[in-house]
Amino acid sequence: MTHRCTRRITYALGLLLVAATALGPPDALLGPATVLLAQGGPITVLSRDGRRTLPAVDVQNHQMVGLDDLATLFQLQVREDAAARAVTASYKNQTIVLTPDQSLVSASGRLVSLPAPLTRRSNRWLVPVEFISRALAPIYDVKLDFRPQSRLLVVGDLRVPRVTAQYDESPSSIRVTFQITPRTTATVTQEQNRLLLHVEADALDASIPPAPSQQGLLTGIRATDPTTIQMDLGQRFNSFRTSPATSSGAASVLTVELLAVPVESTVAPTPPGGVTTPGAPGAPTAPGVATGPVPPTDLPAFGSSRPTIRTIVIDPGHGGDDAGVKGPRGAVEKDVVLAIARRLKGVIEGRLGMRVLLTHQDGKLIGADARASIANNNKADLFISLHANGSPRPTTRGVTIFTLGLDRFGEDARRQSRADRAVLPVFGGGTREISLVEWELAQAAHLDGSNAFAGIIEQRLRATAGLPTVTLQRAPMRNLAGVNMPAVLVELGYLSNPDEEQQMRSADFQNSVALALTEAVSAFRDHLELSPQVAPAP
Amino acid sequence: MKSMSRTFGLYIGLAAMLGIGLILLLVLGPRWLVTPPEETAAAPATAADARKIRARLFYVDEQGTGLTSVEREVLYGEGTVEQAKRIIEAQLGAAPESLASAIPAGTRLRTVFFTKAGDMYVDLSAELRQNHPGGTTNEILTVYAIVSALTTNLPAITSVQILIDGKEVDSLAGHLDLRRPIEQDLKWITN
Repeated sequence: MTHRCTRRITYALGLLLVAATALGPPDALLGPATVLLAQGGPITVLSRDGRRTLPAVDVQNHQMVGLDDLATLFQLQVREDAAARAVTASYKNQTIVLTPDQSLVSASGRLVSLPAPLTRRSNRWLVPVEFISRALAPIYDVKLDFRPQSRLLVVGDLRVPRVTAQYDESPSSIRVTFQITPRTTATVTQEQNRLLLHVEADALDASIPPAPSQQGLLTGIRATDPTTIQMDLGQRFNSFRTSPATSSGAASVLTVELLAVPVESTVAPTPPGGVTTPGAPGAPTAPGVATGPVPPTDLPAFGSSRPTIRTIVIDPGHGGDDAGVKGPRGAVEKDVVLAIARRLKGVIEGRLGMRVLLTHQDGKLIGADARASIANNNKADLFISLHANGSPRPTTRGVTIFTLGLDRFGEDARRQSRADRAVLPVFGGGTREISLVEWELAQAAHLDGSNAFAGIIEQRLRATAGLPTVTLQRAPMRNLAGVNMPAVLVELGYLSNPDEEQQMRSADFQNSVALALTEAVSAFRDHLELSPQVAPAP
Repeated sequence: MKSMSRTFGLYIGLAAMLGIGLILLLVLGPRWLVTPPEETAAAPATAADARKIRARLFYVDEQGTGLTSVEREVLYGEGTVEQAKRIIEAQLGAAPESLASAIPAGTRLRTVFFTKAGDMYVDLSAELRQNHPGGTTNEILTVYAIVSALTTNLPAITSVQILIDGKEVDSLAGHLDLRRPIEQDLKWITN
């Protein structure tokens, strides 16, 4: 049913695309005389037989490949039919018909639009690289996966995960966060002056930015053999630790933290400048410097399926007759968290320009399902529940960030949310993945995002708000269960602890927490926008 | 002759339907059916005092964020249901010196129900909620003290659902999801 529906939508979009191409200015009108040629980088072709290269040239800002090269690589029979003014490329019983200077080709009777026309140059026929994924892949009996960013063409069922890295520096450490898509097992080992990340794959599609080397901790990073990434260790390197690999959407995330040899004198942290990936999660900020509005990265294009954050729901805990925790000096949880929620709303709106909604404004009590409904019905992208904690011990202190912990029932819901997925093409290109999950446990489908956000909040609360004790926990939280988006519950401190009670009532604390959470939202937005996603058709 | 065999066939059919009905009733019957008493896993302590067993009970640890287990004497109960009642009653009682109880004062056990699936329903009095100090940590400590006391000592129990005054509840203090039975989670146990 879903397949039939998907196919229909694909056809409809295909027709629209054909119409748009016909109406738009066809490149063919420019004629061969205006074609400027420049050598493009070759495309690496990975298959079971090994690694080969496919030369590519740049024609009118389009990457083109030779039809003869494709014929050799993929055993195509290429024929020119002068009478019909057509070029055919056949593979087994299937034929692709191309017309010179036309961007539309017919692949086994199905019309496919290419971004550039079939072009003749030096007695060779050139087609845009998109020909491979749009025209050749559908008729070829082995999977062809072209990755334009890394100029990689994977032939067959090879495991070639994409590996990206982000750096997060502090004066005494560098965190390297590897994101491996799709999820793949990876291990880190130390060999003398280097750390090796081994990925269980046939090859890697690695895109690793240069290492922030001025700290003398990590002097270089690069892919060495086909499945290993090497991190060269500098003189200040002392030890390393790795976080257990977690899943984030379709990717696995592995963090390697390099720790520096402790120094007696405090060295002022150098601003990361252009070395750290701009807007990387938890990008360091010089302490004591008020951060201005975080400039948004490129605005998402209209109709883009790339996830971002536009609406946030902040949920001040408790309310009405439900006061929550009462501190020994009279502070009441519902009032403290409502005050912080209002400040946070103001800071996020002012600095990030996002739409912020509170689940309740006037201290009125609403139920857990009503709180989730406000977020779900407003199509919020992020849900933050604010609470103050209580312990039987008056000395217990610190912040705890909760995400939903799943029991067997919840794990079933999560598996179901992954199994019942449909990928639908969206207008304007690309695809969108939708999942079907029980309303009662909608959060199960968003746990990777929630846990990633919780990790970012932990960093920001330590770095920006200067809170020394921040713990991440998972538990079956009632207020998070039905929330259909990444969601966290932050216990901002213990009202049962007289010191923290006093601190939580202060404007300074409330402002610094609001600022730290705003930075976390900004970093999480960058994390979403920069993360590799389901690749749209090239 | 023909009508006799038809009547006989009718009887056979009726008997078969009754039999199938009975089997369906037994198999698909309400999960609330209390199971017959079983051998308790917690062994009687000594022959000298057969009416007591040693069981692990759970109290707030020094840090105030987890539970520590202490082995204490608990009255012996015949079968999982009776033993569960004795363990909960002991868990609701005062904590040993230097430790704190995670259960609000005044909370009484009303009754327990045990399902074939291994879910133990523990029905507690309204004081559990009325006297609860609030806060996620306090709520976790309260709920997991009860869950741990039952699942640790009685392996037949796989999860525990807390009822208040005989009713299912959304939550105890507004944080934990108590709509379904809760499984043991060792991360809250610190010893």
